[in-house]
Amino acid sequence: MEAVVNEVVSPEDLLKFEKKYNGEFTKGRVSKGTQFEYAWCLIRSKYSPDIKKGILLLEELVPKGTKDELRDYLFYLAVANYRLKEYEKGLKYIRTLLKNEPNNNQALELEKLINNAMKKDGLVGMAIVGGIGLGVAGLAGLIGLAVAKSKS
Amino acid sequence: MATAPYNYSYIFKYIIIGDMGVGKSCLLHQFTEKKFMADCPHTIGVEFGTRIIEVSGQKIKLQIWDTAGQERFRAVTRSYYRGAAGALMVYDITRRSTYNHLSSWLTDARNLTNPNTVIILIGNKADLDAQRDVTYEEAKQFAEENGLLFLEASAKTGENVEDAFLEAAKKIYQNIQDGSLDLNAAESGVQHKPSAPQGGRITNEPQPQREGCGC
Repeated sequence: MEAVVNEVVSPEDLLKFEKKYNGEFTKGRVSKGTQFEYAWCLIRSKYSPDIKKGILLLEELVPKGTKDELRDYLFYLAVANYRLKEYEKGLKYIRTLLKNEPNNNQALELEKLINNAMKKDGLVGMAIVGGIGLGVAGLAGLIGLAVAKSKS
Repeated sequence: MATAPYNYSYIFKYIIIGDMGVGKSCLLHQFTEKKFMADCPHTIGVEFGTRIIEVSGQKIKLQIWDTAGQERFRAVTRSYYRGAAGALMVYDITRRSTYNHLSSWLTDARNLTNPNTVIILIGNKADLDAQRDVTYEEAKQFAEENGLLFLEASAKTGENVEDAFLEAAKKIYQNIQDGSLDLNAAESGVQHKPSAPQGGRITNEPQPQREGCGC
């Protein structure tokens, strides 16, 4: 699953599906298929603005999707949010998918991946907060020392 | 990671293609997990699996991209064909329509991979012989006419699943040995991982010098 969520779209592919999307857009009617293809490429981009745009396009599709299409949208919304480190949102989408298909292996693996990333992030976060705490304490000590010195 | 010692000498990229419901993901799962997934839902987009195998005493890591068979994924999954060293093209022996669509899958495979890509045709669900809709002989002939390897397999019983992946790998390895597959070509689908550290850099992974960063 890690290989799947970390895989990056080639610039040619992104451009190709962007052209297709824009072509339909200027004609005033974008098909669900074209919008999905473009969104799927966008969320595999290495640039977050692309991923965010992909998320918007997928969110737009969600209310229009058949049951079968909906799972695609939910899955890639989860992947996209994972890539942006928006783990809470990612979990929300993958759990909606799992509600319909509790045994879906791809969804279960993605859920596990997001959970692990959250745990790891939590630990790093604690370490940073801890580090800042130490830094603040140290700084206070130094200031105290300086004040004490200037007074003497 | 690039400097870690490898416990394999080569990486081969594979793709699995074919109509929906022919058992592509089940073949992959049987190969990587040695288990049969009953009631496996249709794949969303692509799946990925790896396994290390051995050919002529060489350890080879297979990186396998399993593509969704449903039509709405087809345009985008085509980009996964690029740089594949091997392709498993799968049909279901109990559903003739999946066999009839092979020429379209083959056209994609031929157009989107390189001329050295080894394609193996797999007639899956061989355990369901009573419901057979495509004879072995017919498919064998199709494979021969198109220069494909061919096997009938069963993801359910595991029959020939191992061989499907291995036969393709043997052929790729043979192509490397006789020089017909150029490892330096951009999209050979093969990476050589020299075990000796002085054995040279992998050309498509340049190590840029860090500049002006004192941190």
